[in-house]
Amino acid sequence: MSRGFTLWFTGLSGAGKTTIGEIVEQTIRERGNKVEMLDGDVVRTHLSKGLGFSREDRDTNILRIGWVCEVLTRNDVVAIATAISPYRQAREQVRANIPAFVEVYIATSLEECARRDVKGLYKKAISGEIPSFTGVSDPYEPPASAEIVVQTEGRTPEESAGDIVSWLEAHGYLTPAPKAAPEPAPVAVAVPVSSAPSSSSAYSEEEEAEVSKRLEDLGYM
Amino acid sequence: MQWFARRQSAPGGGARRVLAIGIDGVPYSFAMRQIAEGRMPNLARIFQAGTVRPLNSSWPFVSSVAWSSFMTGCNPGKHNIYGFVDRRLNTYDVFLPNSSTMKREPIWCELSKAGKEVVVMNVPVTYPPRQVNGLMVSCFLSPSLEKATYPKELAGRLQQMGYKIDADAAIARRNKDDFMKELHHVLERRAAVMFELMDSEPWDFFMSHIMETDRLHHFFWEYMENNDPYWAPQFYDFYEKVDTILGQVWERVDENTTLVILSDHGFCTVRKEVYLNTWLRENGWLSTEPAPGKPPSIASITPATRAYSMDPGRVFINLRGREPRGSVEPGADYERVRQQLSDELLELRDPDTGEKMVQRVYKREEIYHGENYQNAPDLVISPTTGYAFKGAMDREHLTYKGDVLIGEHTFDDALLYVSGHDIVKSTLTMEDVVPAVYNLMRVPQPDGLDGALVISA
Repeated sequence: MSRGFTLWFTGLSGAGKTTIGEIVEQTIRERGNKVEMLDGDVVRTHLSKGLGFSREDRDTNILRIGWVCEVLTRNDVVAIATAISPYRQAREQVRANIPAFVEVYIATSLEECARRDVKGLYKKAISGEIPSFTGVSDPYEPPASAEIVVQTEGRTPEESAGDIVSWLEAHGYLTPAPKAAPEPAPVAVAVPVSSAPSSSSAYSEEEEAEVSKRLEDLGYM
Repeated sequence: MQWFARRQSAPGGGARRVLAIGIDGVPYSFAMRQIAEGRMPNLARIFQAGTVRPLNSSWPFVSSVAWSSFMTGCNPGKHNIYGFVDRRLNTYDVFLPNSSTMKREPIWCELSKAGKEVVVMNVPVTYPPRQVNGLMVSCFLSPSLEKATYPKELAGRLQQMGYKIDADAAIARRNKDDFMKELHHVLERRAAVMFELMDSEPWDFFMSHIMETDRLHHFFWEYMENNDPYWAPQFYDFYEKVDTILGQVWERVDENTTLVILSDHGFCTVRKEVYLNTWLRENGWLSTEPAPGKPPSIASITPATRAYSMDPGRVFINLRGREPRGSVEPGADYERVRQQLSDELLELRDPDTGEKMVQRVYKREEIYHGENYQNAPDLVISPTTGYAFKGAMDREHLTYKGDVLIGEHTFDDALLYVSGHDIVKSTLTMEDVVPAVYNLMRVPQPDGLDGALVISA
């Protein structure tokens, strides 16, 4: 069984957070872990009942979800939060309290979310029927340093979930499933938001030796 | 990049541009003496048109950490760069921190997102190059020029101009005359490329970094301090070239542009290199079992180890549950071990002179905070000026005084200059620079910066 960690999904309404989160939840559970999912829409019906959509209320909602994740993680449960969590500061506040925190940015564009409009909300937001709608009339601050960034456009939710699971395996959060048969190589991998290559690929072995030599000559190593 | 807004002209007209020049390792006190002695007339002219103040470096005070704190406006507990070399958490694997391990956004990425055009050249810890709204030339952590630029095509243009990522320090170990020539050559090429990009590319923010001053200091500082008849004049000649370049920069600063000049640490003569792991081994703190024929390394640490050190003066407790063969229990045991080691380090003395080599030992919570705090060293040594703490594990003696590397960093005595503005804070840190740049460029700064706004309107 893995140790507890928090998998925090952020992204616009309709980006695919819940859909992808549920697939990841299933996989983590199948690997023998305790897992709990806190979905933003569901949480608003009990834990955060009565809260509105002002910045303050949105932040309170996130901090409440964050607190539950913290408690779950501490007790070796994998906590999955799927909430828009539009403000970077609130997400960072949650991150600061949870040592094993993995932020997943579901980077579906506003245009694509509005095109999909699964819940019919964008139409209402654009017509002004819903005020304070994230991405339309309220800000969304994308993460500056999410551990995982998922591009969903042109890909199935299963593929996106697979990317997240691969990342969790590669970083020791999740024990890989025993392989029954050789699996095809993943089509695409999640990339950091920054477009910088991941740290493991910054240098080849040869390049690392070359740069290390340079640092040694300078007395830095 | 997908989220770059289209460039918009500044409201009220008049683009607000910032031109920043990094001069690595140039001490405030040295720059002031150069000016007082009439050796840097251009710098004197520039400094008269703004404010210059001493600036403190970062812990530890090496370029990679200090420039990361500069570019993110955050302490290492947030940006996650603690040295030129680090160990991966929960392992004894050593790696080279780089821009992809930096966990906060450098200012040029934030400016790019705000639609500003940027050109960034040679700032430490910018490899791999980030995609910006403009151009990026990475630093000496780049394995090759081909891999050092964004966009990739820029590399060819630099190659044609004879650009070199860094002076080859291996030359200094063979022949210092040749190395002095190399430094001049690299600086000239860097300046040529800098002015070419400055004049031909659109930019709202331009930053170029002169690394050669730091390299000069590492290999020649003591000669200058001792007024060596052969080397001291050559040392000052090099600065004459730096001054000429700064003069040419100043010619390009118009009323819409603010010039920022800064360095990242001070410099002094090396009194001794200090191999702390040798002391830790001899005093029962460190035990290694290297494979036959291999030198001892962090990878060969045994459970009998309570502490080990990495460059420069970073100390890690061999903590159970964190280090793979950790033996010190978390909690009270960890605190007791850390306190005992800190007390003993404060008594560490130069074997030849009996002088104290450590001024203070910081616990990590005293100097770092943020979401990447868990990667921080447990203790950080503040050495007596001139004692250079090293992380090598294979040295027989505690101290060494050589004639190759003869200059060493200091924590205090870096400098910050801003044209046309007062600097209204007396003790400045590396994190205090970018809030001023955001302010000057009228771009909202990201949340959670540690630096303060230190300039007047």
